[in-house]
Amino acid sequence: MKFSTIIEPFRIKTVEPIRQTTGAQRLAAIRAAHYNVFQLDAEDVLIDLLTDSGTGAMSVYQWAGMMKGDESYAGGRSFHAFVRSVKEITGFQHVIPTHQGRAAEHILSGAMLKPGSIVPNNTHFDTTRANVEHRGAVALNLPIAEGREPQTIHPFKGNMDVTALERVLRDNAGNVPLVMTTVTNNSEGGQPVSMENIRRTSALCRTHGVPFFIDACRFAENAWFIKTREPGYAGKSPLEIAQEMFALADGCTMSAKKDGMANIGGFLAMNDDTLALTCRNSLILTEGFPTYGGLAGYDLEAIAVGLHEALDPDYLHYRIRSVEYLAEKMIAAGIPIVRPAGGHALYLDARSWLPHIPPHQFPGWALSVALYVEGGIRACEIGSVMFGQQPDGSERAADLELVRLAFPRRVYTQSHMDYVAEVLLHVNTIVKDIRGVRIVEQPSVLRHFTAKFEPLPH
Amino acid sequence: MTHHRSWAEPWKIKVVEPIRMTTASERKEHIREAGYNTFLLRSADVYIDLLTDSGTNAMSDRQWAGMMMGDEAYAGSRNYYALEEAVREFYGFPHLIPTHQGRGAENILSKILITPGDHVPGNMYFTTTRVHQELAGATFHDVIIDEAHDPASEHPFKGNVDLDKLDALVREVGAEKVPYVSVAATVNLAGGQPVELSNLRRVADYCHARGIRVILDATRAVENAWFIQQREPAMRDHTVAEILRLLCECADGATMSGKKDSLVNIGGWLGLREERLAEAARGLVVVYEGLHTYGGLAGRDMEAMAIGIRESVEEDHIRSRIGQVHYLGKRLIDAGVPVVRPLGGHAVFLDAAAILSHLPRDQFPAQALAAALYLESGVRAMERGAVSAGRDPKTGENRYPALELVRLTIPRRVYTQAHMDVVTESVAEVFEQRGQMHGLRFTYEPELLRFFQARFELVRAPSETGGAGAGGIALAQLEGRQALG
Repeated sequence: MKFSTIIEPFRIKTVEPIRQTTGAQRLAAIRAAHYNVFQLDAEDVLIDLLTDSGTGAMSVYQWAGMMKGDESYAGGRSFHAFVRSVKEITGFQHVIPTHQGRAAEHILSGAMLKPGSIVPNNTHFDTTRANVEHRGAVALNLPIAEGREPQTIHPFKGNMDVTALERVLRDNAGNVPLVMTTVTNNSEGGQPVSMENIRRTSALCRTHGVPFFIDACRFAENAWFIKTREPGYAGKSPLEIAQEMFALADGCTMSAKKDGMANIGGFLAMNDDTLALTCRNSLILTEGFPTYGGLAGYDLEAIAVGLHEALDPDYLHYRIRSVEYLAEKMIAAGIPIVRPAGGHALYLDARSWLPHIPPHQFPGWALSVALYVEGGIRACEIGSVMFGQQPDGSERAADLELVRLAFPRRVYTQSHMDYVAEVLLHVNTIVKDIRGVRIVEQPSVLRHFTAKFEPLPH
Repeated sequence: MTHHRSWAEPWKIKVVEPIRMTTASERKEHIREAGYNTFLLRSADVYIDLLTDSGTNAMSDRQWAGMMMGDEAYAGSRNYYALEEAVREFYGFPHLIPTHQGRGAENILSKILITPGDHVPGNMYFTTTRVHQELAGATFHDVIIDEAHDPASEHPFKGNVDLDKLDALVREVGAEKVPYVSVAATVNLAGGQPVELSNLRRVADYCHARGIRVILDATRAVENAWFIQQREPAMRDHTVAEILRLLCECADGATMSGKKDSLVNIGGWLGLREERLAEAARGLVVVYEGLHTYGGLAGRDMEAMAIGIRESVEEDHIRSRIGQVHYLGKRLIDAGVPVVRPLGGHAVFLDAAAILSHLPRDQFPAQALAAALYLESGVRAMERGAVSAGRDPKTGENRYPALELVRLTIPRRVYTQAHMDVVTESVAEVFEQRGQMHGLRFTYEPELLRFFQARFELVRAPSETGGAGAGGIALAQLEGRQALG
C-alpha cells in the first residue's frame, strides 16, 4: 500500500456532545459515587472507557434496520433476518436471541450445569463466572502460563492450556458438562486465541464426549488476530476464519453489544436439538418468546447488520490499530501495560505501576479512581475487586491487577486518544501519591457494580 | 373536560409499514406448519396481527427523537434518570429498577419477596406472573370477584378483589404466609377488566393492617385509570394521570411491562417504596438483567419509555385507544358474536366456549377458533383459555378456567378503523361457519407456559378418520365454502 496512515473506514453521521468538568466537580462526583466509577453519572464523564459493551456507534445501515424492525410478538421478519445473519457466520442450527449476553450464559448454565460440575474455560469473564457459580458449579480457569504474565510477549496469550485441560477432562470424567473458550480472552487482557488452540481444545472435547462452546463476544477481533498472526490465515477473510472457528464448536454464547456492533442484545446458538428445546423453554420464563428473546424487533435488525459490519477487514484493521496507537504511547513513556495490546482495550498493569499498594488495598481500583479525578476518564478495574470475592465470602488476590481502558466501537477519534495519553502521562508523575481503597459496603455477588469504597489515609 | 362522541386518533401517520394479504391455500399451509398455534406463524404471513398489544405499539416522532438521544454509557446513563423521573412523577414509586421487560421485573420481585411455602392471592392469574410465583415456591390463589368468571356479567369493575375470599385465605394460611397480594390493573385474562379505585383502597387497608404488601401489576394501569374516570362516580372530575397516581398510592410496589401502556417496543421496570427491598432487587438485577442503571435495556429504550409514559396518560390518547377497542367490540356485538362483557381496555375477547359449544374443553375450543380465524382471513389472535392456563403443578391435570377465550388484542396506534372493519367481517364469517369446526389435541406440550410453543393436530370425528384428506376444522370449513361456490 502506498500510504501507511490508517483512517476510519467511515465518516461521522451523528454526534453526541460531551462535557468538560473541573477537578473540583470531579472530586465531588466521585465522592458522591462512593469512589466507584460504575456509580458515576455518565454526564460527569468526559471520555468513557468503562466498557466496549453496548457503547458502540451504529452505522446508517443499522439505523435503517432499526426503522425496519418488525415488532410482531411472534415470528417477526426481523427475527428471520437475525437468524440468517447468525447462521451465515456461525453455522449453528439453533439460534436463540436473548436481551444480552449474560442471559444467554444464564440459560446455558441452567440447562447444562449441576452443583459440583466443573466448567473449564481459558478464563471466565465476571458474568460467566457468576452464572456458573450460581448453579453451584466450579468455574475453572485454564489459561496458558504466558497469559498470567503481563510483560511476556506471545501472539496468542488468550490460549487455553490444553495439557491442563486434558488432565481435567481425564480426572473428572463425567463431571465436566461443558468446556468453554472465551474469544478474545477479556480477563487476561483482550488477548486472542489461535485457531490451532481452538482446534486442539475441540479435539480434546470430542475425544472425551464433552460439548465445546465458544464465548463469542469478540469473535471478529479474534478472527483478525488469527488473520494477521497465525501462519496460513493471511489470505482468508475474517468471515471465513470466523466460520472455521465456529465449525470447531458445538455452540456459542454471544453478547451482541460487543462484536454485534449493537447497543443491546445477545444470543445463544447450538447444534443439539434437545438442548435447544430446553433452552427455549427456559428463555420464555425470563427473557421472552423464542422469536424475540426480550429484544425489540428493531434490535434484531441492528444486530443482523452489525455482525457482518464487525467482520469488515477495513473496520477491523482500524479497530485493532486504534488500541495499538495508545499502547505505543504508553510503552514509550514506560507505563506498564499488558503486552501485546489487546483487541478491544488497553490494560494497565496496576500491580507493576502502583507497587506501593498491596492487592487487598485494590491498586487497580485506586488507579481507576485517579484516572477519573485527574482527567475525567472512566475505566474499569479487572482485578481483586472484580474477582477477589470467593463464593464462601473469603478474599483472594486476583492473578492480575489490571485497569481496562475499553474502546467503544467507532465512537472516539484519534484526538480523544491523544487526550487520554496525556492524562495517563500526567498520572505517571503523581502515581506514588495514589492511595489504596477499602470496601465499606458490598453485595454478595458481582460486587464491583455497586460496592461502596473509601480512600485509605496516607 | 371536553367530551366528543368520536374517538378519532389525536395524531396523524408519520411512517408506515406494508402488510400483505395471503391466499387461502397459503394460509392453510402456514397454519398446519405452525401446529395450529398462532404463536408459531411467521408475521410475514399474517395480515392483521392481533396476537398481542405487548411491544407492538407504534412509537411517536417524539419517542423516535428520544431514541436518537440514547446515552449508551454502561453506568449512570442520563436516560435512566429521565425514566426514573417519569416513573416518580406518574406512578409515584421512589425506587426504580429497570428491566428488559415485565417478566424480568416479575422474576426479581418473586425472588425477593417469596419464601417457599408462601401463598400469593391475586385478582385472577396471569401466565408469566403465576409461573414466577410458583417457581419461587408460592401457591397462587384467585381472589377475584365471581362476576369476573362470567363472560356475560355486565359488572363495571370485574377486576375487583373479593375481600371475603381474601380474608378467608389469610385466616386459613396466616398473614405471615402471605408476602403480598398481587393486584393487576386491568385484569388481562378476565377480558381486560378494570379494578375500582375504592376496591383497591379497601384491599390496601386490609393488607396493611396485617403487614401484607400490595404489589400492583401496573402493565395497563393507565387504561384502568380511564375506566375509573368513566365509571366510578367520585372520580369523574379527576384526570387519568391523577387517578393513576391514586391507584399506585395503594401499592407498596409495582411490576411494569412498558410494552403495553407506555407505548414502547421493549422495556419494563420494578417500582418499590422500601429502600431495603430496592437494594435486594438491585443485587439481583445485575445477575439477570444488567447493571441497575440500564437493566438490560439500551439507553434509548429507557428514553423512549420515559416519553411514552407521558404520552400514555394524555386524555385524548387514552380515549382514542379504548375508543378503538370498543368500536371493534360493538361491531362484533351487533353481529351477534358472543364476546366478554363489558368490553375491556386492550382487547375484545371472543367467548369461544359459547361459540364452539359443541367442542369439549379438552379439545381446546379457543385454540381451534384462533386457528380458524387465521385460516379465514389472515387475522392472528391469541388463545386465552385452557391451553394458556396449563396444568396444575401438583396434580398434573389440565386446568380449565371458567373463561375459554380468544383475544383480539389491539396494538396501540397501529391499525385503522378500516382494519377493524376487516376484523369484524372475518370474525362474523367464522362465526357463521362455527358448526363445522373441529377440536385440537397436543402433539407437543412444553412443561411451562405451554401456550407459547405447543403444537396441535386436528381431532377428527370417527366418520372422517381414514378419509380423503387431512382436513379437519378449518380445512373442512374451507372446502365446504369452496364447494358452495
